[in-house]
Amino acid sequence: MTKPKLKFNPVAQEYFENPYEIYKRMRDEAPIYYDEEEDFYALTRHADVAAALKDYESFSSSRGCDLGMVRTGEVPQRSIIFMDPPDHRHMRSLLNKAFTPRAIQSQRDTVVELVEHYLSKVDPDNFDVVQDFSGPFPVEVITRMAGVPEDFRQQVRHWIDTSLEREPGQIELSEKNMQANIDSAMYYYSLVQERRESPQDDMISRLIAAEIPDDEGNLRKLDDIEITGFTTLLGGAGAETVTKLVGSAVVEFARHPEQWQMLLDDRSKVPDAVEELLRYVGPVQYNVRYTLKEAHLPSGTVPAHKPVFLMKAAANRDPRAFDNAETFDITRDKAQSQNLGLGYGIHSCLGAALARLETTIALEHLLDFMPRYEVNFAGLQRVTMQNVAGYHNVPVRVLK
Amino acid sequence: MTQKVVVDFGLCESNGVCMGIIPEVFQLDDQDFLHILQEEVTPQNEHQIREAVRQCPRQAISISDE
Repeated sequence: MTKPKLKFNPVAQEYFENPYEIYKRMRDEAPIYYDEEEDFYALTRHADVAAALKDYESFSSSRGCDLGMVRTGEVPQRSIIFMDPPDHRHMRSLLNKAFTPRAIQSQRDTVVELVEHYLSKVDPDNFDVVQDFSGPFPVEVITRMAGVPEDFRQQVRHWIDTSLEREPGQIELSEKNMQANIDSAMYYYSLVQERRESPQDDMISRLIAAEIPDDEGNLRKLDDIEITGFTTLLGGAGAETVTKLVGSAVVEFARHPEQWQMLLDDRSKVPDAVEELLRYVGPVQYNVRYTLKEAHLPSGTVPAHKPVFLMKAAANRDPRAFDNAETFDITRDKAQSQNLGLGYGIHSCLGAALARLETTIALEHLLDFMPRYEVNFAGLQRVTMQNVAGYHNVPVRVLK
Repeated sequence: MTQKVVVDFGLCESNGVCMGIIPEVFQLDDQDFLHILQEEVTPQNEHQIREAVRQCPRQAISISDE
């Protein structure tokens, strides 16, 4: 008997429901997967994905980071995730000092306050971890850092969700996706103009004041559109990712109560649990790159001028890189292979330290709030989104 | 031939992973600036330095021959 033909469809309903099944087949049967129908490549083995993330000269971000964008061949809006060096380096250096593990400690009190606030409002007998808790709190942290006034912080989350939402079979942006992008861009644009009038102690104001070298090496200011793009990205990347990681954490610990018990017994294991969650159920499934030239990888060659999926979530479960890769184990040896859950190389997650801090604080508080709990598995609802996976609903009941 | 630790400060973002692996070699000061306390790669520190090279999320660390 032959297996059905291997077909990776990033917008198929089966893929949204369980991405890990197809990753295994791709790693084993087609490490350099080519999709004839849609004309793209996909990498799933750890060695190949890590090598491609390092090789930014072959695997360019300048055409965008999702298949729909890369295929249009148009130059996307100027945003840091759509840049190669040297532009990327200039933009990144404007903000990275605000996101170092040391600098991000200044957000600790804010995170604790928000986590406590949202947990205090839920009904322990029946609440939704994502909708009532892990959705609302991270967006408040990042938009507050950016400088978004309180009344609009939750709105930012709804724009992001709508913008990333995909119907099964939909690769290009829908009108709904585009409208959400336009609405959020218009909002941020007007906010940038407000901050130009009256600067505050926030990131938008700092970006307005910043200068970067232009192509001739002269210093220049960022324009309103660049700052709008950067702020939009911060809001997106800094919110819905932790939302999904914490939602998935509650599901995984319900499936592995002995590991929840380990955390209850020893809170110092929480940071290791966060790393394992990033490996095992990290929200970012892939980013798409465009080959500027023929690229050579441990498993073979990718031709020039093709969209390539770098599938980090698949690489993170590659048994060639991790012992018992398909097993959730918070005690595993972290040094065995690079965890790609927050990316790797020049585009690795700017907010990595914030993501870790938020997830750690969220877990610590959940351990206190629900030392014993059950998930209503029948009520789990997964998101159907471009490049990220996780749950839209995680119904939980705290056990007495 | 000696081998030396090299940090690309254009890439380094003070994540401190290297310091966690081998603080005798890598130290972040309270301004988040990375200092190399001992640049020579020795048989005693080589294994951990290579671990730091591999685990740096920014790939900012390398080992050079001279």
